[in-house]
Amino acid sequence: MDPKKEAEKLIEEMEAEKGITLDAEFREKLKNEIAEKIKSEIERKKREAKRKVEKEGEEYFIRFSLNIRLQHLTLAIGVILLIITGLPIKFHESKIAELFFDLIGGIQVSRILHRIGAAMLIFVSIWHTIYIAFTEEGRNEFKELLPRKKDFLDFWQNIKYMLGKTNERPKYGRYSYIEKFDYWAVYWGVVIMVLSGLILWFHNFFLGIFPKFVFDIAKEAHSDEAMLATLAIVIWHWYNAHFNPHIFPFNPTIFTGKISKERMIREHPLEYERIMKEKLTREEKSDER
Amino acid sequence: MIWILMFFILIVNQANSQLKNQRCFVCHGVKNFGIVEQGKFKSLYVSKEDFEASVHSKFACVSCHVDVRVIPHLTKPQKIHCLQCHFEGNVVGAPVAAKPEKYKESVHARALAKGKNAPDCKDCHTIHYVRKPEDPNSSVYKTKIPELCGRCHQTIKEGYYNSIHWTGITRGELSAAVCSDCHREHDILPPEDPRSSLNPKNVVGTCEKCHSDVKLMKRVGIPVKNPEAYKESFHGIALKFGVVRAANCASCHGYHDVLPSRDPRSPIHPANLAKTCGKCHPRANENVAKGKFHVLPSEKESGIVYYVYTFFKWFTLIVLVGLFTHIVLDLVGHIRRKRKTTGE
Repeated sequence: MDPKKEAEKLIEEMEAEKGITLDAEFREKLKNEIAEKIKSEIERKKREAKRKVEKEGEEYFIRFSLNIRLQHLTLAIGVILLIITGLPIKFHESKIAELFFDLIGGIQVSRILHRIGAAMLIFVSIWHTIYIAFTEEGRNEFKELLPRKKDFLDFWQNIKYMLGKTNERPKYGRYSYIEKFDYWAVYWGVVIMVLSGLILWFHNFFLGIFPKFVFDIAKEAHSDEAMLATLAIVIWHWYNAHFNPHIFPFNPTIFTGKISKERMIREHPLEYERIMKEKLTREEKSDER
Repeated sequence: MIWILMFFILIVNQANSQLKNQRCFVCHGVKNFGIVEQGKFKSLYVSKEDFEASVHSKFACVSCHVDVRVIPHLTKPQKIHCLQCHFEGNVVGAPVAAKPEKYKESVHARALAKGKNAPDCKDCHTIHYVRKPEDPNSSVYKTKIPELCGRCHQTIKEGYYNSIHWTGITRGELSAAVCSDCHREHDILPPEDPRSSLNPKNVVGTCEKCHSDVKLMKRVGIPVKNPEAYKESFHGIALKFGVVRAANCASCHGYHDVLPSRDPRSPIHPANLAKTCGKCHPRANENVAKGKFHVLPSEKESGIVYYVYTFFKWFTLIVLVGLFTHIVLDLVGHIRRKRKTTGE
């Protein structure tokens, strides 16, 4: 839209309506003035729209720190690597296993990838232990993740809500009982997988130490717990984090760290309240000053 | 070359009429019949009774010796070869079930072609007295095979005679393995050949022919699930996907002199296991004997491993049923609420 043409059109309309013809010099002046006005009006509108977008952008909360995000990313990549190189060994009879080993360049390549995945899992376990033991942020997160009585009440409330007995959703804090379950399940899984996995990895070393049946137990536990963990991740964790109808098909929060205000209120109302209260007291304090 | 004909009586028949075997035996049926060839006596005697008990008794001598047209024949008949008849698709009905043609690819045929001393058909099957392998008088009857192969492979024969397989044969268990059960009969190939029954990739399949046979293993009192359990092991899986240095059956059990674990000479006797495993796993010690071998975790005999298996089976089932129920409840609840709000 050209402001000058628009102004010309307006003047013509006015002339036709009143049945007059304006002086050429005045007409030119008027046209320029109207064009200027239109131009500034458009710019104002644009600025306003931009500000609105920015304001909406501000309505996000940072849910996860970069540290947590990187821990999760390392864990996720490591575990996926372990699953895709581990399952073909468990299901070695299947055609897919053969296809996979052909594709990747043999079972020897797959073994190396599995150990890279294992190293990532062990690394992130150590990293996380240091994080929750020696950083302020880590200690706080750990405290938030400890199970408490409210989680069992929330669980009960959620069952009633899901069954339609009540319309009141349980009010979660920073972590719901579902998220806490996922967190603690990883401890169980990592302890079993890493211990049994290390025995199998360094079998030549451990052969001098453990009797043969320990290796049999390690192999069985590694294989069975792998299955349990894979199913729990693919079915349970992915449903609750990504595939449930509220967020389907993908929840970027664990990767970007950001969560929208709307989701914050719906999913973590108590944390939202706490943050808002803190903000309010901060503002009050600064006002007093 | 000197020819000495010992007998010469019969009327000479003209070429086209078929010569009866009877006429051949007039000369060849005499025990001392023979020639001196390169200074050595060479018998040309053929036992009539033995020939008539052979699978070829219905055939005329001249069916094979086609170049003998008149009697007495004055020239040495051409050498004949069994594969003249025993080839795939022959019209005379010569059996080829054991694939005699494969002999041509075998180590024996290749050695022979290089001018080495190696057996061909007649060395195992005899020339004129071929009988069915099932016939106890056959040169290739099961119990005679180790002796037959042992004529050349002497040290291996001695090792084999110590094995549990030969003990089985001597006890009358004729399903026990002899040379040909593992090495095959005609297409004997070196283990390096991927087609060989004894190539590392094929060893398990070769042992399994008998050791996965439920009836046979029950009869001889050996657990039949051993090969299956082996295939589930890391050794078995690695081997299946081409890691040929992974242990196969023979790596631990030995082969010609294979013995059960209760025999102190056996490499899998508990006292010898450390040494046997130590061939690949240098730190192996007496610990490797403390556990069960070739038992599936799903079987109670596997002891503590069975309980680990059972624990995880139920634990996984219960956890997943719980998680799945939670997901279904969540989904159903969500759909119900959505329908309510849109319905209002």
